[in-house]
Amino acid sequence: MRIIINLVILVILFSSCEKVVQLDLSNNEDKLVVEGSITNQPGPYFIILTRSVNFNDPSTYPAVSNALVVITDNTGQRDTLTYISNATYKTNNLQGVEGRTYSLHIVSDGKDYTAQSTMPAQVNLDSLRVNVFLFNGENQINIIPVYKDPQATGNNYFFKQTVNGKLDKTYYAFNDNLNNGQSSQRPLRSNDIDLELKSGDVVQIEMQCVDLNVYTYYFALSQESAGGLGGGSTPANPPNNITGNALGIFSAHTSQTKTIIIP
Amino acid sequence: MSGSFKKIFTGFCLFACTFSTVVAQQKFTVSGIIKDIQSGETLIGATLRVEEKVNVGVSANEYGFYSISLPKGKYILKVTYVGYVEQVLDIVLDSSVVIDWKLDYKNTLETVVISSKKKDNNLTKAAMGTETLNMKDIAKVPVIFGEKDLLKTIQLLPGIKSAGEGNSGFYVRGGAADQNLILLDEAPVYNASHLLGFFSTFNSDAIKDATIIKGNSPAQYGGRLASVLDVKMKEGNNKAYNVSGGLGTISSRLSVEGPIQKDKSSFIISGRRTYADVFLKASPNLKDNILYFYDLNAKANYRINNKNRIFLSGYFGRDVLGFGNNFGIDWGNKTGTLRWNSIVSSRLFSNTSLIYSDYEYDVKIKSGVTDFNINSNIKDWNLKQDFTYYLNPKNSMRFGVQAIHHTITPTIFTGTVNNTETKTGRRSLENALYVNNNYKATEKLTVDYGLRFSAYSILGGDTYNIYNKGVKTDSVVLASGKAGKTYYNLEPRFTFNYRLNEVSSLKAGYARNTQHLHVLSNSTSSNPTDQWIGNSYNIKPEIADQYSLGYSRNFKDNQFEFGAEVYYKNMKNQIDYKDGADINTAPDVESELLYGKGRAYGLEMIVKKKSGKLTGWVSYTLSKTERLIEGINNNNWYNAKQDRTHDLSVVGIYQLSKKWTLSGVFIYNTGNAVTFPTGKYQIGGETVFQYSNRNANRMPANHRFDISATYENTKKKRVQGSWNFSLYNVYGRENAYTITFEDDPNDASKTQANQTSLFRWVPSITYNFKF
Repeated sequence: MRIIINLVILVILFSSCEKVVQLDLSNNEDKLVVEGSITNQPGPYFIILTRSVNFNDPSTYPAVSNALVVITDNTGQRDTLTYISNATYKTNNLQGVEGRTYSLHIVSDGKDYTAQSTMPAQVNLDSLRVNVFLFNGENQINIIPVYKDPQATGNNYFFKQTVNGKLDKTYYAFNDNLNNGQSSQRPLRSNDIDLELKSGDVVQIEMQCVDLNVYTYYFALSQESAGGLGGGSTPANPPNNITGNALGIFSAHTSQTKTIIIP
Repeated sequence: MSGSFKKIFTGFCLFACTFSTVVAQQKFTVSGIIKDIQSGETLIGATLRVEEKVNVGVSANEYGFYSISLPKGKYILKVTYVGYVEQVLDIVLDSSVVIDWKLDYKNTLETVVISSKKKDNNLTKAAMGTETLNMKDIAKVPVIFGEKDLLKTIQLLPGIKSAGEGNSGFYVRGGAADQNLILLDEAPVYNASHLLGFFSTFNSDAIKDATIIKGNSPAQYGGRLASVLDVKMKEGNNKAYNVSGGLGTISSRLSVEGPIQKDKSSFIISGRRTYADVFLKASPNLKDNILYFYDLNAKANYRINNKNRIFLSGYFGRDVLGFGNNFGIDWGNKTGTLRWNSIVSSRLFSNTSLIYSDYEYDVKIKSGVTDFNINSNIKDWNLKQDFTYYLNPKNSMRFGVQAIHHTITPTIFTGTVNNTETKTGRRSLENALYVNNNYKATEKLTVDYGLRFSAYSILGGDTYNIYNKGVKTDSVVLASGKAGKTYYNLEPRFTFNYRLNEVSSLKAGYARNTQHLHVLSNSTSSNPTDQWIGNSYNIKPEIADQYSLGYSRNFKDNQFEFGAEVYYKNMKNQIDYKDGADINTAPDVESELLYGKGRAYGLEMIVKKKSGKLTGWVSYTLSKTERLIEGINNNNWYNAKQDRTHDLSVVGIYQLSKKWTLSGVFIYNTGNAVTFPTGKYQIGGETVFQYSNRNANRMPANHRFDISATYENTKKKRVQGSWNFSLYNVYGRENAYTITFEDDPNDASKTQANQTSLFRWVPSITYNFKF
C-alpha cells in the first residue's frame, strides 16, 4: 500500500528531483554478523560469520574464520562445524527435522553468542499461480504461491523469488493474521520497480515455514525497505534471535522450491 | 457517582470565587452582541472598554456576546476590534441595558497582519502561548500552489513547526501531530489534511477565524496534550446575498451566503474541489489515475428572539485516490454541530452543543484474484453545556460539562483477504467537568485559573487483552453495556499576567493536559491510514505538565510588539511501536506497543510590526524534545522525530499602492531528527544497514524564500476581483524531503545516500471574485 501511495506522491510532484548526497555517517560499532540456517532438506548446512563495516566503506565484509561454532538440538544431536572458506562453517552430520529446536553457540574473539530457532511443521507448497491483472492499461504479472494454511494460528512464512536466476530483493514475510486456515491468495508484490515479469521468464519460488522470531526479523526488514517517499518506519536493527549483541539471523526452517515459466 | 460530582462541582465554584470581592454598591449591567456592520458576522474577541476605568473592560465571547456590570453613573464606552473602526458611546447608566454594536471594517492602507484584538491586548490578557488569526489578515501571506491555508500559515508562528515541506501537519512545543486538538465549530477534526498532508481540510473561504493555544488552554478545552486549534466557521451575511470564489492552479472555490431572514438569520455554503485529475486524464500514461479532494462547509443560524439563537453547521470532505480498478483509497471527515445560544440573563450566557464527528478511510485493492477492502473509522457523539458568567467587572467565569461517546473501529480487512481474529468497534466515554475564572485582581495583575476534571471510561462490547512487554498476561471480557476501567484526572491550569509598566508585561503559567485518544503511526509522514486508538487496560492517558514564563513589550506606540516565552513540558504515558511492529494486521495492535515518557523545552520569540505600509513578523524558536521509551534505543533518551533546534520565519507584507500588495516569507529550520545507517552487513547476499542510536542524525537544514503579489481592483464595481501571483521557493533550494540508502547501482561494492527534494520554483496564479 505504501508503495502505491509513494507513486501517487510522485505523480503529484512532477517537480521532485533526486540526487546522491554525501553524509557524515561515522561511529559505527562493528559487530559480528551471523547468517545461518538449518532446513528439512539433507545437509550439510552452513553458518556464515562476518563483521559489519562503516556505511561509507567498500561493501566487503571481513570474514570471521577462527570461531568455535556448535549446533545442538533438543534431542541431543550435537555438531561442531568446520570452517571451510569465505566466512563459512559447515555442519558434519546434523540432519534438520521438523518440530525440533536448534541451538547455535558461537565463541568468537572470546565472546559468546547463542541463538535458538524451532523448525515448524512443513505446510505444503501446492503450486505456483500466475496472477495477471490490468494496471494502468498494461498487463501486470505476479506470482501467487498456493498453499493451504493450517487451521491453527501462528504460521509464519518467508518466500524468496528468483527471476531468471536473479534474486528479487523484496523480503516476503507472510503470516496468518489474515486469512487463517484458508488457501493463500496473496501474491508476491515486489518492491523492485524495475522487476516486471513477462512471458518466458523463469521464476523460482522458495517457500520457508519459519518460526515467529525469524518472521519478525524479515518483516522488520521489509518495513524498513518499503520506506521510500511516504516514509517507512523509523529504522532500527531488526529484532533477532541472537544473544550477545550480534546482527543477523539463525533460522531453522522448512524449504520447498517450485519453478514456473511465465506463459 | 452524581453525589461526588456535585461535591466536586461545588468545590469548583468555591475555588473560582476565592478572589471575587463582595460589592455592596448597586450595579447595572451593559450587555449585547458585537458584529460587523456589513455582514452581520459576530466579532469574536472584540473588546469593550470603559474610558473612565483603566482596568475595566470585557471581550466578546465566541458568539460575540459581552456583558459588564458597572455602578450607576456616566460612562464613555469604547469598542475596538482589529482592522475595524473604533466606536465610542456616551451613556448614563441608571438601569441595565442591552447595547448591540456594529463595527465597520477599515479598508485602508493600514493592514494589520496578525491580530491582537486591541493594540496592546498582548500586555493585558492573561492568555499565554495564544495567537489568533483572522482570515482577512492571512490572505496575503504566500503559500504553496497559491492555496491560502490556515494550517500552513500558523506554522510560521513561534513554537509551531511544520510536519514536513508543504505539509499541513504541525507540531507544537515538542508534541506529536496527534497531540493537537483541532476543532471546527467545536467538532474535533481527526485528520485535518488532504492529499497526504499537502493541503488542509480548512477551506479559507468558509473560515472566520482561528485561535491556537500552545498548551496553556483555559479549562473548557481538553483532551490533547500540545495545543488547541479552535477554528470558527463564518456565519454568513445576514444583510445581503454574496457570491464569492476563486480559480487557482490546484483548486476552485465557490461560496454563497446571504440572509434567511434579513438581520435575523443567515446561511453560508462553501465548496472547494481540486482538479489535478483533469490534467491526469489528458496524459496517456496517467489517465487511469484518480486523484482529487473536495470539501463542503455549510452553516445556518436562526435568531429565535433577542435572547436565543440556533446554529447548525457542517463539514464534509473527501479525498479520492486510485489507479484504475486496481487500487483505490478514499478518506474524509464529516462533522456536524447543532448549537443553541441563550442569554439567560444579562450576566449569564449559555451555549448548548450537540456535535457529531466522523473520520474514516477505505482502501480497495484488486489485482487478479485478490480483491479486498481495508477500513477503519472513528465516530463521536458529543454533548456540551457551557456557561459564561460575568460575575462582576473583575471576574468572568466559564463552567460546564462535556460528554463524548467514541466508537473506534480498528483496521479491518474484508473480501478475499480477511482478519483471522474478528475485530469490532470499541466504545468509550470521555467526560469532563470544568470551571475557569478570569480575575482582574488589580490594575496590573490579571489571573486566569481553572480546573478540569476528566474521566475516560472504557465501554463494553469487546475483549481487552493485557500485555506485559508485548506478552499477553491476561484479558478482560467486557459485556456490551458494561463499563470497564475509568481513568480520572484533575487538570489544574493557571496563568498570571503582571503589567510592569505602560509598555511591558510579565506572564507565568502552568497547565496540565491529558489525552485519551492516540494516533498510532510508525511512518515519518502523515498517512490517511494512521489509526486512532483509545485508552485501554494497557494504554493509559497521556499526561503533560507545562510550565511557561513570558515577557511582552511594545515599542513605538504599539506599532511594534515583542514577545518571548520559555516553556518546559513533561509528558507521561507516551506511546510508540516496538521495532518490527506489525500495525495493520496484528490481531491486537496493543501487543505491538511500548510506553515511556517525554520532555520538551524551548524559547520562543516574536517581533511583529503591526501597522504601516510594511507589516509582518520575525519569529524564532530554540527547542529540544526527547522521548524515553522502554524497549527503544537501549532505554536511553532519544530525540523525538519532531525535534528541531532552530526554527526561523520571516514574514513581510508591503502595501505598494492601493491596488498592489507584495509579500514574502523566508524560513529556515534545522533538519528533523532521523536515524541514518552507520554501517552495513550482508544477509542472504543482500546489503542490510546497521543502525546505532535512534534519531541521532539530522536531515539537512531547510530554507527557502517565497514571494507573492496581490492585485486588487479597489473600484466599486458589481464584481470585485483580485489576482494573486506567487512563486514558491524563489531560489530553487533543494530541500531534502527524504534520504534513502541503497547499493550504488553502478558499483555493487559501494552504497550511497539518495536525497529526494520536492518543490523547486512552484509558480501559481489565483483569481478571486466576489459579487
